[in-house]
Amino acid sequence: MIWEPIILRNKNIPEIADIDVYERNGGFTALKKALKEMTPEQVTDAVKASGLKGRGGAGFPTGLKWSFLPKGVFPRYLAVNADESEPGTFKDREIMEKNPHQFIEGVILSAYAIQCAHAFIYIRGEYPGAANILEQAIAAAKQRGYLGAQILGSAYDLEITVHRGAGAYICGEETAMLESLEGKLGMPRVKPPFPAVVGLYGKPTVINNVETLTNVPPIIDKGADWYKTIGTEKSSGPKVFCVSGHVNRPGNYEAPLGSITLRDLIFGAEYAQGVRGEKNVKGILTAGASAPMLTAQHLDTKLDYEAVAAAGSILGSASIIVLDEDTDIPWATQKMSRFFMHESCGKCTPCREGTYWMFVLMERINTGKGTARDMEMLPIVANQILGRTLCPLGEFATSPVLGTLKWFKHEYEAKVSADGNRETEK
Amino acid sequence: MPKVTIDGKIIDVPAGTLIVEAAKPVGSHIPVFCYHPKMAPAGMCRMCLVQVGMPKMDPATKQPVVDENGQPVINWMPKLQTGCTTVVSEGMVVHTTTPQVAEARRSILEFLLTSHPLDCPVCDKGGECPLQDHTLHYGPGNTRFYVESKFHNDKAVPLSPLIMLDRERCIQCGRCVRFQDEIAGEPSLGLADRGRGLEVTTFDDPPFNSNFSGNTIDICPVGALTSRDFRFTARVFELNDYPSVCQQCAVGCNVYLGTRDNLIRRVTPRQNEAVNEVWLCDKGRLEHHYAHSPERVTTPMIRAESDLTPVSWYEALNFVANRIRPTLGESGKSMAGLAGDRLANEDLYLFQKLFREILGSNNLDHRFGWSQWNAGDALVKNFGAGVGTNLGELGKGVTALLLGADPQTEQPVLRLRLSKITRQGATLVVANGRATKLAQYASHKTIYRYGAEAYFVLGLVRAMIDAGLHKSDKANGATEYSAALNLTVAECAAKAEVSADTLKTIGETFAASENGIILFGREFMYAMQRDPAVEAALNALLILSGHFGRKNNGVIALYPRSNSMGALDMGMTPTDGGMPASEMLTKAKLLYVMGADPARENPAFKNPGFMIVQDLFMTATAQKADVVFPASAWAERDGTFTNTERRVQYFARALEPLGQARPDWAIIQELAQQLGAKWTYASAGDVMNEIAQRIPTYAKMTHARLQVNARRRASVQTVGGDAAEPVQMALGELIGVVSGAQWATFSETNADAKFDVKFVQPADSAQATAGVYLAVTRALLDCGALAQYSEIIQTRVPDASVEINSHDAEAWEIANGARVRITFESKPPRALELPARVDGSVPPGVVAVANNLDGTMNLPMGAQVQVTQVQVSQAIAD
Repeated sequence: MIWEPIILRNKNIPEIADIDVYERNGGFTALKKALKEMTPEQVTDAVKASGLKGRGGAGFPTGLKWSFLPKGVFPRYLAVNADESEPGTFKDREIMEKNPHQFIEGVILSAYAIQCAHAFIYIRGEYPGAANILEQAIAAAKQRGYLGAQILGSAYDLEITVHRGAGAYICGEETAMLESLEGKLGMPRVKPPFPAVVGLYGKPTVINNVETLTNVPPIIDKGADWYKTIGTEKSSGPKVFCVSGHVNRPGNYEAPLGSITLRDLIFGAEYAQGVRGEKNVKGILTAGASAPMLTAQHLDTKLDYEAVAAAGSILGSASIIVLDEDTDIPWATQKMSRFFMHESCGKCTPCREGTYWMFVLMERINTGKGTARDMEMLPIVANQILGRTLCPLGEFATSPVLGTLKWFKHEYEAKVSADGNRETEK
Repeated sequence: MPKVTIDGKIIDVPAGTLIVEAAKPVGSHIPVFCYHPKMAPAGMCRMCLVQVGMPKMDPATKQPVVDENGQPVINWMPKLQTGCTTVVSEGMVVHTTTPQVAEARRSILEFLLTSHPLDCPVCDKGGECPLQDHTLHYGPGNTRFYVESKFHNDKAVPLSPLIMLDRERCIQCGRCVRFQDEIAGEPSLGLADRGRGLEVTTFDDPPFNSNFSGNTIDICPVGALTSRDFRFTARVFELNDYPSVCQQCAVGCNVYLGTRDNLIRRVTPRQNEAVNEVWLCDKGRLEHHYAHSPERVTTPMIRAESDLTPVSWYEALNFVANRIRPTLGESGKSMAGLAGDRLANEDLYLFQKLFREILGSNNLDHRFGWSQWNAGDALVKNFGAGVGTNLGELGKGVTALLLGADPQTEQPVLRLRLSKITRQGATLVVANGRATKLAQYASHKTIYRYGAEAYFVLGLVRAMIDAGLHKSDKANGATEYSAALNLTVAECAAKAEVSADTLKTIGETFAASENGIILFGREFMYAMQRDPAVEAALNALLILSGHFGRKNNGVIALYPRSNSMGALDMGMTPTDGGMPASEMLTKAKLLYVMGADPARENPAFKNPGFMIVQDLFMTATAQKADVVFPASAWAERDGTFTNTERRVQYFARALEPLGQARPDWAIIQELAQQLGAKWTYASAGDVMNEIAQRIPTYAKMTHARLQVNARRRASVQTVGGDAAEPVQMALGELIGVVSGAQWATFSETNADAKFDVKFVQPADSAQATAGVYLAVTRALLDCGALAQYSEIIQTRVPDASVEINSHDAEAWEIANGARVRITFESKPPRALELPARVDGSVPPGVVAVANNLDGTMNLPMGAQVQVTQVQVSQAIAD
C-alpha cells in the first residue's frame, strides 16, 4: 500500500507552499469549521479523541496536554517547538519549508483550542530559510483573515511571532526554550511547576512540536474517528520518519505508525532503498543520538512507540540513522559524546561534568590510549549521570555510550590495551 | 501542616517547606551547594539528592494502603529527588542516609572535583569551604579522573576592585548570579558560554558595580570568589572572629571582625534576622581600614607655643583640668560639648553626664553640618515602630510608607530588605521628590514636588478622613482636626504635583491596612525642619490611622549614622535652654569636640577660645584644638549602638588599642575624676549598667543581655554541626538568629494614652512654586572621614556631578557630561561647576547634587537651604 501523505502533502502536491494551492486543496477548511461550528473545548476534545501523541520525542498525548491549563488564567501562550536539533532529524524543516500553511493552520487551531492570543514559534537559528517562509506564510494568512484580529469574522484574535534561536541544542528542551524565548540563557527550569501552569513569562503555556500541530487540521477536518483508523490502537496517526546515514535514499518518509518495520523503511523501494554498496546494517539509531542503538537483529521491529520501546530503544522524533557494517562504532559514538558535551548547558553537575568525562574516555579509547580501566569507567560514569540530571539531556548523553557498549563491547575492547599504547589505524 | 517522616523521625512542617529545610529540625543533614535558604531553589548542583516516597493510596477510599503491620505502604520514586526543589507533602517519607543517597553524593562530588584545581593550600576559602567540608564528609577519597584531562580555565580574573574570580574553582552553582538578581536587585553578574565552559561574568561597566557584591564572596560555596581586600592575608582558621556591629550607617548590620596579629583582616556579616539577615554592604565590609591607619593619633597632645606637641596622658588631662577648674560652677554655661553620632552609647552618656553634672552645662549636641535637624524626635519617642517589628519579614496586611528617603545610598541593607516585602505580600509605598532605587519595588510610587511635603501628607490624611477610615479613640481633638483641615485631596494634590487619585489610593490603602509603618528619611527630615506643618501632618496621619503602639506599626526615622538614635536616647541634645550646635560655634568659650569634625564641612569654623578634640585622626577641627585626646577605634573597645529601628546592639572589643589611645568613655571618666568626680566605672559594661538604671527605656539593657547570640565565632567548623552557628553562611545551613533589644516607645508602654492632633497650616514655601531647585542628595561611597582609608572604596567613589532631567537638559541645551555652572541662592550667592548627568532620576525643575563628594563637600545643607533656586547659567564645552 502506498500511503498518501497527510503531513508531507508536498510529496503529492509540490506547490502546496503556495497559499492558493493550499486553499484549493482543502486548506483552512478545518479552521473555518472550528471557528464557525466548534467551541475551543470541542477542538481539544477532538484532538484528545484522535489519540494524537506529541511528535517531538516524548510522545505525550496532545489533547491531554492542552487540558492541563489551569482554568481562567489568562493570558496563556502556545509555544511551538521548531528547534529541531536532534542529530538526524529534519522532518519539521520539510514541513515548514514545503507545507507551511498546514502547519500554520495547525498552530491557529491549537491556539484557538487553548484560547491563546499570542503564539510563538521558536525556530532554530540554522533554519533561516524556513523562518522566512513561515513569516511569509503568516503574512499571507493574515492577509486572508486567518490570523490577526477577529479571525474569519469570529471573536477570536491571534498573533504569531517567529523567534529564531541562537544555535543551542538544549533550547529544544521545552523549559530551556521558554527561557530562551524570554531572552535569557537557554537553561532548563526546575519542574514542577510545569509550563502548563507556569510557562512563558510565568503564564500557562502549551508547548507543541511542529509535526504534532501539522496533524491537527486533518483531525479537525475529517474527524477523530477517521484519524484513529490510521496507525495502531495505541499509536494513532501518521508519522514522518527521517532516514539518514548509510542508505541509498535518505529523506523524510511518511507512514502510519506501526504500519511498517525498520526493514521496510531502510530497504523498501518507496523508502530509503537499502544500504549503500549493498552492505549490511550494523547499527540503527531510532531517535537520533539520544536513543540507545539497535542492531540488525532489530530490523523487524514495527515502527511505533510501543514496539521500539520493547526492542530497547525509543522512537522519539523518529530520526533513523543507519550505520553500515563498516562503521567503527566506538568512533561513531565518540562523535555523539562530543555532541552532548558540546551541547550540555552546564546548569547541573552530572551532565556538565559527566558528558565531559565520557568524552575524555571515548577519546582515549579511540586514539589508542584506552586501557581496561577506561572500559570499566565508561559505564560507571554514565550511570553516575543517569537519573540525577535536571533535564533529559544528560540522560540522552548516556544512551549512545551504554547502547553501543551493550551490543558492540568487543569493538571497544579491540581498541584498548594494558598500557594504553595501542597503535591506531588512523 | 503536612506530617512527614525523615530518616524515621516524624515531623510536622508548614505546607510549602522544602525537604532540605524540613530535614534541619530532625537533625538530618542534607548537603547543598547551589541551594541557599535566602534564595529561590535552582536545582543545579544535585548534591541534595535524597530518596523520596509517598504513601500508596487506595483509589476507592482515598486512604493510604497499609501493610500487615498497619504501616502505610510506600511507593518509592524511581529516581532520587533533589531535596532543594521538592516540597514536602502529607505522608511523604524521606531517606537521607541510604546507600543510594550516599552513592549519589559521592558521585556528584567526584564530578565536581574532576576539574577542580584542588589548590586548597593556597585558597582563601580553605577552612570554611563547603566543597572541602562536604568532600571530607561525603566524598570519595580519591578521584578516578585523569589529572591531565582536567578542564582548565582562567584563574585570578579581577571581577571588580573588590572581587577576584577563579574560574577553575567555580562549580557553576550560580549563587552569586542569583544573589545579585534576586536579593540585591542589581543583576550585575551572569553566566556565559555553556557546558563545562560555563562561566560567571559581569555585564557592568565599571565591572561588577554593585554595593552588595561582597556578599557573593560569603555565599560562594568554593573559593571562586575571593576578596581582594583579604586574599592571602590570613588563613580563615587563624582568624579570631569577634562579634561587632558595623558603624557605617544607622542600620547597624551585625558583623564579625576577623582579626589576626592585632589587625582586622576582614569583616563578614554576622546573622541577625531582625537587622541584616546574613548580608552586609561593601561599605561596611571595607571601611575598617581606618582603624589601622598610620595617620591615627596615638598620643595626647597639647598646644605649646603654636604647635600641638605630644605629651603624656597625665599632662594632657591636667592641662585641661587646670583650664576648667577655676571656672567650674560659674561659667559652665559658656562650655559646650559636641559629639559625633558614631560614638557608642556609653561614651555619649558619660559625655553628657560630664557636662550636666560636673560642668553644669546643657550645651550639648550631636547634630552639626549636614545632619543639623531636630525634627521627628517626638514621633519616634511616641510612635516608634512597635517592638518585634522586623522589616525583612513584613508581608500580608502591612503597608509601609517610605517618605523622602533613599535607603539605597544611606541605609543599603535596609533597602535590600525592603525590596522583598512586596513579594511577601506587603504593600510598599515610595514617595520622594525624585526617583530612588527602592521605588522600582514599590506597589505605589510617586514623586511629589520638593517643598510640598506637608501638602502631600495632608492629602493622605484628608483622603483617609474622607473615606471614613480614620480612628479617633486615641486622639485628642480629632473632630476639630477634621474641621480645621481646610484642604481637599485635590487641592493637596495640586500643591504636591501628584494626582488626586494617587493621594486617595495611598491614603486609603495605608489607613485600611491592618498594619502600617512609616519610614522617613533625611530629605523628609529637612522638610520637617523647614516647616513644622510637615511633622504635624505626619503626627496626624499616625494618630488618626491608629498605626502605632504595636508590632509592625509606627514610625522609623532613617537616621544618618550608626548611633544617631543612641545619641538622642542618651540625651545628647541641648535641653533647658542649652545651646544647639549652630550656636556653640559662635557663642561658646570652651568647646569639647568628641568624634566630630565640624571644620571639615565648615571652613569658617574657629576655635572659640579653648578647644578639646577627642578623635582618631588629626581632623581639620583637631588641627585647631588646644588639646587632642587620642581615642580608641570602635574595634579597640566594647560598647553599644542603637540602630535606626531603636535596637540596642553590643559590639565586642577585637583589637588592642593603638599607641596610647583610650576608649572615649574612659577619657571622659579620667577628666571627670581630675575635676573631682567620684566616678568608678571599670568598664563600658559598668557605664551601661548605669544607663540601664537611669534611662527608663533602656531598663535591663545590660551588656550581658545584649550579648546573647552575639558571641565569638568558633574558628573550627563541623559539617552538619551546630546549625545555629552563623559561620555556616556558605553552607546555607542558616536558621533564624536574632540578637540585640529594641526599646519600647511611649505608646507601647502607655496603652491608654491619648495624643493631640493639631492642624498646622503649611507655609507656602517658594520651593513649592515654579522655578528650578537644587536637591542635595548623598552618594553611598564617598571620601568621608572613615571611608578615605579604604583603597578599594576610593576606586569606586564617583566623581561629583549634577543630575538634570532630560527634558530640562534639552531645553537648556546641556549634553550629558558637559560641565555646567549652577548658581544658587545663598548668603552670599554661590556657584558650583560640575559635569551634568542627564538621567531620569530627577523630575523636571529639580537638579540634584550629592554633597559628600570632592568639590561638593561644603554645599549648604540643613534647615535653611536644602532646596534653593538654581540658574543654569551657561554650559561650557569640555
